[in-house]
Parts: sequence; C-alpha cells; structure tokens
Amino acid sequence: MPSKETILTKIRANRPNLWPLPDVPIFETLATDKKKLFIQILERGGSKVHCIDDSTQIHQVITTHFPEDKRMVTALPFLEGIEGISTLHPDFYEGTEVAIIEGLIGVAENGALWVTEKELGNVRVLPFIAQHLVMVISEKNIVGTMHEAYKILGLPTTAGFGVFIAGPSKTADIEQSLVIGAQGARSLLVILTP
Amino acid sequence: MMPHAQKAAIFNKDEARTDWHDASLWMVRKKRDFAVSEIPEWEFLREFASDIKMHTLSKLDDYLEAFEKAAIQNGAIVHWAADAKEHNDIVLSILNKHQAKKMVKSKSMLTEECHLNEFLELHEIEVIDSDLGERIIQMLNEPPSHIVLPAIHLKKEEIGELFHRELHTEKGATDPQYLTEAARHHLREKFHTAQVALTGVNFGIAETGEVVVCTNEGNADMGVHLTPVQIHSMGIEKLIPRRSDLAVFTRLLARSATGQPVTVFTSHHRNPKPAGEMHIILVDNGRTEQLGKPDFRSSLKCIRCGACMNTCPIYRRSGGHSYETTIPGPIGSILTPGIDLKKHGQLPFASTLCGSCTDVCPVKIDIHTQLYKWRQIVSEAGLPEAGNKTMMSIMGNGLASPSFFHRLGNIGRKLLRLFPGKERFLSFTVWTKDRDLPKAPVESFREWYAKQAKDAQ
Ligand code: SF4
Repeated sequence: MPSKETILTKIRANRPNLWPLPDVPIFETLATDKKKLFIQILERGGSKVHCIDDSTQIHQVITTHFPEDKRMVTALPFLEGIEGISTLHPDFYEGTEVAIIEGLIGVAENGALWVTEKELGNVRVLPFIAQHLVMVISEKNIVGTMHEAYKILGLPTTAGFGVFIAGPSKTADIEQSLVIGAQGARSLLVILTP
Repeated sequence: MMPHAQKAAIFNKDEARTDWHDASLWMVRKKRDFAVSEIPEWEFLREFASDIKMHTLSKLDDYLEAFEKAAIQNGAIVHWAADAKEHNDIVLSILNKHQAKKMVKSKSMLTEECHLNEFLELHEIEVIDSDLGERIIQMLNEPPSHIVLPAIHLKKEEIGELFHRELHTEKGATDPQYLTEAARHHLREKFHTAQVALTGVNFGIAETGEVVVCTNEGNADMGVHLTPVQIHSMGIEKLIPRRSDLAVFTRLLARSATGQPVTVFTSHHRNPKPAGEMHIILVDNGRTEQLGKPDFRSSLKCIRCGACMNTCPIYRRSGGHSYETTIPGPIGSILTPGIDLKKHGQLPFASTLCGSCTDVCPVKIDIHTQLYKWRQIVSEAGLPEAGNKTMMSIMGNGLASPSFFHRLGNIGRKLLRLFPGKERFLSFTVWTKDRDLPKAPVESFREWYAKQAKDAQ
C-alpha cells in the first residue's frame, strides 16, 4: 500500500470523534491610536520609522537616511534615479545595499508589514538579500491586529509568495544576546505616508 | 542510555553554569510573560487554538487530502512519508534527480527527528544548517538542546573558540555581534552555491495548500528563494483548516516562544518560483499512532514554541541534552514514551508535576496530567525507572497509618535537630542532595493543638 493510503487509513482508525471548529471573532486592538502603537512596536523591535506628509518626500527621506553612495534597488515604480528591480539581472541581487518596497498592510499590535511577490517585482529574495530594507506604507493601511489583517488578505489569488516582515533580521542564538542583522536585512526603515 | 537523573547530576556538577543556564531560560520565560500581558484576550486565543487543533486532528484525513489537492493545484509536488526512512529517501531522490550535492537547511525539528543530516552525509551530500544556532551545533556535531534556542547551552567563549577554528575569526573573540557577522558571511556564500533548500513548516493551510514558515534570521527565505528547488518537510499534525486561523497562531507562537510580538518573518509559500520546483513532504513517523491514544493525542496540538521548556524547573537545571530525545523538556517527555517506552519511560519522572508547562502552553496541552498518566503506564509495565519504589512504599504505608505517621514525625524532628542542613543524613534518598532541610519545629501541630486545648480548659 502506498504511504498515502497507509497514513489515511491509520488516521481513520485512530482519529477522535468530530470536534467542532470554532468561529474566531475578529479581535481588535484596544489602542485608540493605531498609528502610534504601530510606530512604537516597530521601534521596540529595532526598526526606524519616518512619517511624511507627501509621497514626493520619499526620495528625500531615503537619501538623508543613507547619505553615503549606496547601491539602491526599488520595486516602487515612481522613484526616479534609483535602479528598478525589473531590469536587474539576478547575478546582481547580491550586492543590493538598499531595497525599497511597498508594504500593503501594517499591523499595529506587532509591527508587521505584509508584502507579496507583486510588491517585490517578482523577486522573492529581494527583502532578504538586501543589506538594508526600506518599506513604504500608507497610514490608511494600518490595522490593529492579525485578525483584521487576515480578514483583508482573504485567500491568495495570484501571488505565490507573501510575507509579513516585522523588523530587521535578528538572532539571539549566542547567549541570548540580541544581534540585529543576522542573515537578512541589517536595518528596516518604515516610511509612513498619509 | 544513561537515565535522565544521572545526566542531570553530571550537568549539575558545574553549579555556576547550571545557574547561568537556569537564569537564561528564566529570562525568556519572563519576556514571554510580558508579551502575553499585552493581549487581553490571551486566554481566549489559547482556547481557540486548542479547539482549532483538536478539530483538525478529528478530521485530519479530510484536511490532508484537501491540503494535497490545493498544493498540487498550486504547482507543488506532494509526497507522503510513513516514517523517517521514507522521508529521508524522498529527500535524497529529489537531490539525485537534480544531481545536487549541496543543500541548505533552515531549522526543522522534524529533520532532526528523522536524522536527515547523518543520512544525507552518508550519501555524500553536504548539508548546511543555516540558522545560526543550528549551524553552531552542527559544527560541534551536537544535537540541539532546545527546540527554539538550539545552542542555549553554549557559552559565547565556546562559540568564539569554535568560530576561530572553523571560520578563522580572531582568537579569543567572543562578541556576539562580531561572531554573528562572521557567520553571516560564511552562510551567504552557502546560499548562493547550494542547489536545494529545505525548510520545516510551522503551519500548513488546508484551504490554500500554503506552507507557512516563521523565522527571525531570514535564513529560511534566503535558501528557498535563491535555490531552484525548495523542499518543505512537514509533520502531518502541522495542518490548520483556514488561512484566517493563522491570526490566532501567529499571535500565540512568537509571544510564547521568545516574547516577541511576532517573528520577524512569517512567510507564506504557495507556489514554486518561475522555473523552480516546490516539494512538500507530509510525514507521519509515529504521529498516527499517537492519534490513537486518547490520553495522549492532544500532544499533537503542539506548535513547538518551547515555552514549556523555558518554564520547567527540571529542564532549566538539567539542560536539553539530559533528555536524550530530539524534543527535550516537558513536551518531549510525553511525546517520546509512546515511541519507545523502555528507552524513554524514565522521562515522565523528570518532572515535579508543578504544572507550569500546562499553564504556559499556548495550545492548552495538559502536559503535566499526561506526564502523570505516563508514570502509571511505566509503573504498570514494571520498568525500573518507576522511581524510588522502596521509599514510595514506606511512605505509602506510613501515611496510611496515623500512629506510625505520628511516631515517624517525632523521630524525624529529632534527627533533623541532630543533623541539620547539609549533613544529608538521608543519604538513601536523592531528595536531600541539593537541598537544605528546613529547621525542625520543637513540637508537632498535633502536640501544639493538644496543649492549646488543655490550656483553654
Ligand atoms: S507543548 Fe505547548 S508549550 Fe510546549 S512546545 Fe508545544 S506548544 Fe509550546
């Protein structure tokens, strides 16, 4: 008998009686100011947050934040003078110092930002391989909790990969000392647009 | 195999180190408490998580089939493995098909359980564990001592020494930042040259066929997205029915594990990258058997957060290696006796039954009750590990007879006064090995009460 059948047969013989599936309510956050909480949690996790009143300021914020000449790659279409991801040859993904991408949903309770491969210009490795990551998100897209986030996300339609990113990569594997910048991005800058 | 108590005794020889280990884990437990306090509906979430998992287990066959169907539709290749050997053979066949000789792996307790690394190395495949802690213990040729913090038992000096030897870091360097940076460079090169990446799975979504992987370092994603072939090894109990259930589990997992509000990366893999290949291996390896044990099946709800280890007074002061199981600590002690009662039957006794594990478990597994139930089974099976049998029967008889108990109390108080503290006159029991006995009262409660009654007259 192939293993699939063996496993399924064993489950049918051994499984418990039907246990009801609960309906989980959409728990909301008690925080009155979601934006404030979002910023606070992000900063606690080692990210930087910059609020702007006009998306034309994005470029400015990035250059102030990275004053040295760094190799930048953007998946945001409207940033002039910065190399677009779609034209980049895969051999040059490594060596990307700053990657700029858009976050679709921000979650206040844990500072996580949702992106799919679409926002990554179909380069799934982009937010992991870049030395530094910049995520741009509108404050209108901040929700309170993961329940609200998944409600908006629904079921995946086209994207084959999606990820919540909640800060720079980190590890505490050596004596529980926190080190920011493990294998992925060493820093995360979140730019909040209106 | 050396009994847990003996291994623990060896661990305890270095008192300063034992204290350090204890304190490190207690710190993680405290972080967890803080993170939990931020969620007012925490107890409801635990209840929901438990119910969702129990529901899934009660229809696991249906959900597995739904998952497989959805995953195939997404373009993934789904394999079924009845045991560890079949799992390892499947991985090897995928590697062979692509003539791959190098595989990067991110943390997966399942592949530890299957001893995949040893198997692949026999077939001349280079396996690189890419999680920092896992890489450290792989270089040391040791198993992980904790399911979330695999190198928690090591001091930075030891890691510095190891990295000096293996990665040519400066001699005597112990700064975690510096050592992590060295590992980063070492591993980046591996990600670019490996042909296959393998990850564990935190959650499989039946309705979408997605696998969800929760990590902090970014290593799992580096591997998966840079190599043409991705493999996800998944225990069949990792399924959850709906994508929205992830809200419950992502809120619980990282808070329970490390006290973070969520892991840095929560990756949802649905289909292979263009021109890539995505394999999902569904592994049984004893899980269906555990499902058939009504008293113990709820252990399959486990989401491997490690909270029960961090809180366990025995684990903290004996170290993960003392359990000699892939999954140590309280949860390991209820998962493994079912696999081999003779070998692991002593583990349910490595507990004070204080119940702290049950209190922190995010999916409400009644761990300490199951430990107690395993003890009954081990005792009935007549295994010698059933503990202090002589002592227990003396105690049992003594406690059953009021006059004997009374006399025993008198003798005990006298002896304690004669040989206080660390004299350890009770050398026939291990109870006093590391404890000071309390000061003996002059009289018993019974004597005191009798006097009061007399005075009142
Ligand atoms: S038994 Fe509970 S507390 Fe222990 S690792 Fe599993 S989920 Fe976490």
